[in-house]
Amino acid sequence: MAATRSSGSAVRGALAAACGLLGVGGARAQATEVQTAVLGYSEPGRVTAFEGIVDASHTLLNGKTLTGHLVFDTLTGASANGAVPTGGIQTFTSPSGESNYQTEAGKTPLDSTFKDTRAALNLGLSTPFDRLTAWGAGVYFSGEHDYTSLGANTSLTRDFNRKNTTLALRASYYGDSISPVGGRPIPFAAMVAPDIAQPRQNGNGTKNTLDLTFGLTQALSRRTIFAVNFTHSRVRGYQTDPYKVLSLVDDVTGSPLDYLYESRPDARNKDMVFATLARHIGGDDVHLSYRYFTDDWGVASHTADFRYRWHAGSDWYLQPHVRYTRQTRADFYRRFLVSGEPLPETASADYRLADMKGWTAGLQYGRRLASGHDLTLRAEYFRQTNSGAGTTTFGDLAGYDLFPAVDAIILQVGYSLDLGVDGRSG
Amino acid sequence: MNHLQKTRTAAAWMALILVGLTAALTLPGCAGVGVKPWERDILAAPGMQVDPDPLVTALDEHIYFSKEASTGGLGTGGGGCGCN
Repeated sequence: MAATRSSGSAVRGALAAACGLLGVGGARAQATEVQTAVLGYSEPGRVTAFEGIVDASHTLLNGKTLTGHLVFDTLTGASANGAVPTGGIQTFTSPSGESNYQTEAGKTPLDSTFKDTRAALNLGLSTPFDRLTAWGAGVYFSGEHDYTSLGANTSLTRDFNRKNTTLALRASYYGDSISPVGGRPIPFAAMVAPDIAQPRQNGNGTKNTLDLTFGLTQALSRRTIFAVNFTHSRVRGYQTDPYKVLSLVDDVTGSPLDYLYESRPDARNKDMVFATLARHIGGDDVHLSYRYFTDDWGVASHTADFRYRWHAGSDWYLQPHVRYTRQTRADFYRRFLVSGEPLPETASADYRLADMKGWTAGLQYGRRLASGHDLTLRAEYFRQTNSGAGTTTFGDLAGYDLFPAVDAIILQVGYSLDLGVDGRSG
Repeated sequence: MNHLQKTRTAAAWMALILVGLTAALTLPGCAGVGVKPWERDILAAPGMQVDPDPLVTALDEHIYFSKEASTGGLGTGGGGCGCN
């Protein structure tokens, strides 16, 4: 307990210092909350990732709230490079252009050279204008060895109807810089052997994103609350995955003749509506949400999510969770390119842009500890399948699974500290 | 109708629905929807928040952002990453 108080005090002190730096000091600490979580994600035979989050908020007596969100993650393992399986061993040049890796006959080509570490920090400040209106602003930084993102956001919220209705407007802008290992490939250039001049473009890629969100939250009754968000996202710049290729196959045999680096459009406009309903039923909490997504790449998706928080005891709960999503492929998605046919303007074999269904099923356990802190454990199973709609196979290609399912296990431990007024646990 | 037109049509419908909802819920005549201040006990419980587990949401958003073509919508936003 002494250690808990000590760490809580340290966190409160650090946040209070940060408040001082931002010029919002002068008031006594009112409340501090810290939430932490560690997540493991594993696709057997493919990617393994670990992610840690620390989320802290500190509310002052004058109503201002400072928030901090720190993320650290690592990724290792293999990721599908886009090429098709064939009857022989395939050899690919690694993104660095300095070595190669091989794929056995009949196997989906996976690039096993990935190893990435990312850190991200989000800082925000919310200031009340009056009893019903608040303004918020934040800054964002994310960095990994081949990708840097800087962002800023601002929001305005206003309550109506005795605070039963809340409207929110939010705008975010991100500027990204992409500097792939080995440089950015020239679109549709053929992969060449290592240690010779690689087909690369000069300079880093840049991308900017503008998100505009309009949100409405409505208390419908003593047991029901509803929220809906409408978001428009405008993305411009380099959106190609520099590590993905397409197989150029023979138009008769289906055997690969070359591996061509992919190319995606440099503009994307996305629109989505997200609605969620929370209902208290017989002592339990039910959350049902739905999202519709559409963009001008041709992707459209429906996603539904259901969580049932069963308050099995006075200080613990079990929460089953089911998620289902279905998406249509991007217009420029091609599982492979065929020799003799004209090259499209843009093309990608990235399975994430294909027709896809995804299922997630999981269980979360939450417990309020004697200290007043909260412990959560979560385990989930995630499966993605692709029917291969829109792709006609021929020759050797017909004998292989071009659209393998992807399975993943997700495990998470979370710990939350409500440090209460002036840092006292409670 | 091409995809751009479809997108714009869908966006226009969404905007129309939201404007309608907003107007319906904020006009004085409809101010009866909701609860009295002393009836907020259940809605104030942690499990009844619109997002009861923000960290779970953030982690899931990152996973699905990395594994699907659709992303966002929850208003949490987030910068890019070279996710695989």
